[in-house]
Amino acid sequence: MNRRSTRASGTDRMPSGVPGFDDITNGGLPRGALTVVLGAAGTGKTVFALQVLASGAREHGEPGIFVAFEENGAHILANLSAFEWADSVIPERGVHLLDAQLSQAVEHGGAFDLIGLLAVVKAKAEQVGARRIVFDGIDVLLGYLESASRVRQESFRLRDWVHESGLAAIVTAKADALGNAVQPGLELLDFMADCVVAMHHRVAHGIALRFLRVVKYRGAAHSANEFPITITHAGVEIAGNTTVEMSYPASAERISTGVERLDAMLTGGYYRGSSVLVTGVPGTAKTSLAAAFAEAAAKRGEKTLYVSFDESPAQIVRNVSSIGMSFSEHIDSGMLHLRSLRGRAESPEAHVARIRSLLSELQPKNLVIDPLSALSQFGNEPDAEGAALQVIELAKRAGITTVATSLVGNAAPLSEQTPLNVSAIADTWMHLTYLNQGGERNRTLTIIKARGTGHSNQVRELVLSGTGVTLADVYAVGGEVLMGTLRWEKENEARKARTAAHNGAVLRQKKAAVALAATSARIDDLVRQRAIQEAELERLQIDGAAEAGHRADETDELLQRRDADPEADVRGNTVPS
Amino acid sequence: MTPPAAAATLPPLTLRLYIASESPNSVAATKNLYAALARHPALQVNLEVVDLLRDPERGIRDGVMFTPMLVRSEPTPERRLLGSLGNRSALLSLLGVEESAP
Repeated sequence: MNRRSTRASGTDRMPSGVPGFDDITNGGLPRGALTVVLGAAGTGKTVFALQVLASGAREHGEPGIFVAFEENGAHILANLSAFEWADSVIPERGVHLLDAQLSQAVEHGGAFDLIGLLAVVKAKAEQVGARRIVFDGIDVLLGYLESASRVRQESFRLRDWVHESGLAAIVTAKADALGNAVQPGLELLDFMADCVVAMHHRVAHGIALRFLRVVKYRGAAHSANEFPITITHAGVEIAGNTTVEMSYPASAERISTGVERLDAMLTGGYYRGSSVLVTGVPGTAKTSLAAAFAEAAAKRGEKTLYVSFDESPAQIVRNVSSIGMSFSEHIDSGMLHLRSLRGRAESPEAHVARIRSLLSELQPKNLVIDPLSALSQFGNEPDAEGAALQVIELAKRAGITTVATSLVGNAAPLSEQTPLNVSAIADTWMHLTYLNQGGERNRTLTIIKARGTGHSNQVRELVLSGTGVTLADVYAVGGEVLMGTLRWEKENEARKARTAAHNGAVLRQKKAAVALAATSARIDDLVRQRAIQEAELERLQIDGAAEAGHRADETDELLQRRDADPEADVRGNTVPS
Repeated sequence: MTPPAAAATLPPLTLRLYIASESPNSVAATKNLYAALARHPALQVNLEVVDLLRDPERGIRDGVMFTPMLVRSEPTPERRLLGSLGNRSALLSLLGVEESAP
């Protein structure tokens, strides 16, 4: 059926028809081998076993036999009618019921054994060509045996018969809450079985939580973890992603958060198909943020499922209209589907099943769960956490973008812890909180993580108004973040300061220009003065040379007249004073 | 020692003993039944022994899955007694006779 079955080692596997079970057992139940399903009353053992038979007959053409020790066939069929595969549990489809109760009417007159029973069952199996067989409520039968040693003896007989028959056999037996067989001697059945499946349930706050664990699988790898299960009209189902493997298509496409500035903070918005967790104390506008996303998606023409816990669709429509969102318009257009679930009415697993069926029915592109923490109203239980993870993984596998809100307790209102450890698996985690300051409570938004995307590490103020959700910058002054009125005041102050600064700058510029002009004027003046002085100097030099020439002529004349030595006397006599 | 006075008026019995061939419990049941019948010769008994190993279809048809099993179909109401019939009082009760004094 799938590639896992080819990987199975040792035993030949048979698809169980129980969704998720083949994953945790690497291919299903063992053929030609004995599987013991243990569980307290009402844990779903019989449903599990019948589902295996119904699936075998319906999907694999493998007839099966149901040997009933506890209830008669008519009773079993009546109890089955709620399951969608109930119509397969008829001889015409290949599922045969064999009544084998030891009713009250049977008296006990000594030792008995299973030899006759197994002979009858063998004949029936050959007659119908059975490949699968269920012995339901073996503890009831073996309880009639006189001693624990006889129980062991008949258990061995049954096991040997199964191995010889080549059938895939399931034996159901009652167990206590700890998963131990209640029948003395029956513990040997676990020991010699090839595969042991323990089912149990516990009630938390009035709600049944169901689990399944593969305790043993001879000669084969299997997951021994305890898995939450649901029992719905589809039967038993291992809830959520049961294998460790995670392979989701990763989209590079961004879609709007519904808040323009948040898109910017996330460098374009949420990744399509990613999961977003919004945490915060009550009243921090988690719902508004989720609603903004839903509205934006619906506006883009993308079908969006909005699952709300404990708030009616009418309430939600009214509430979001106060921040300017028109949900009713999108509901009418078929783009937005509001569904309200009652948090405490069902187990987390049942909610997961409900959401799963809504997803497959509506095939939305986006999902809002508000709040996801409704699943954990039983307290901080791993079950609830498991359920929350299942929802997120379910959506991821389907490529659905999910925005889930989660309430964090009032006890630590500033804490960024979330009771559901979903923050680890969510791709984007934003935390909303209040800051009390200057007589106001203001909402802040912090992006704690955003996988695969650049994001601002700054705290922003979240502002709700009649036109929707917006973000505002916050001011950090001396290590304190200012918001609301204080932010406004600060903004105002800053505006004034900017104006003043601007005016000052203009003035300085003008002054500088004047100074420059003055300097330039002075430079021009000096240049002019220099030119004048240069001209003056030139004139003086010319005059000086003419005078000297004139004097030399006179000296020559004088020397000629005195017949004197020109070198000696002329110098001393010719220098003017 | 006299046979119980009521024995003469006992209605005839239709019995079927379902066994699994020579398995120990089946052998024991057969012995115990024959011994009881031998001790009560006044009983009119129509006995059929069904071996489910040879004729498993009968088990399905008759709704008898376990061996050994003694079924009294007449007189009605039907009574079924499971096991090797070592429980003598239960066997005699089914046969409708009192335990004779030893």
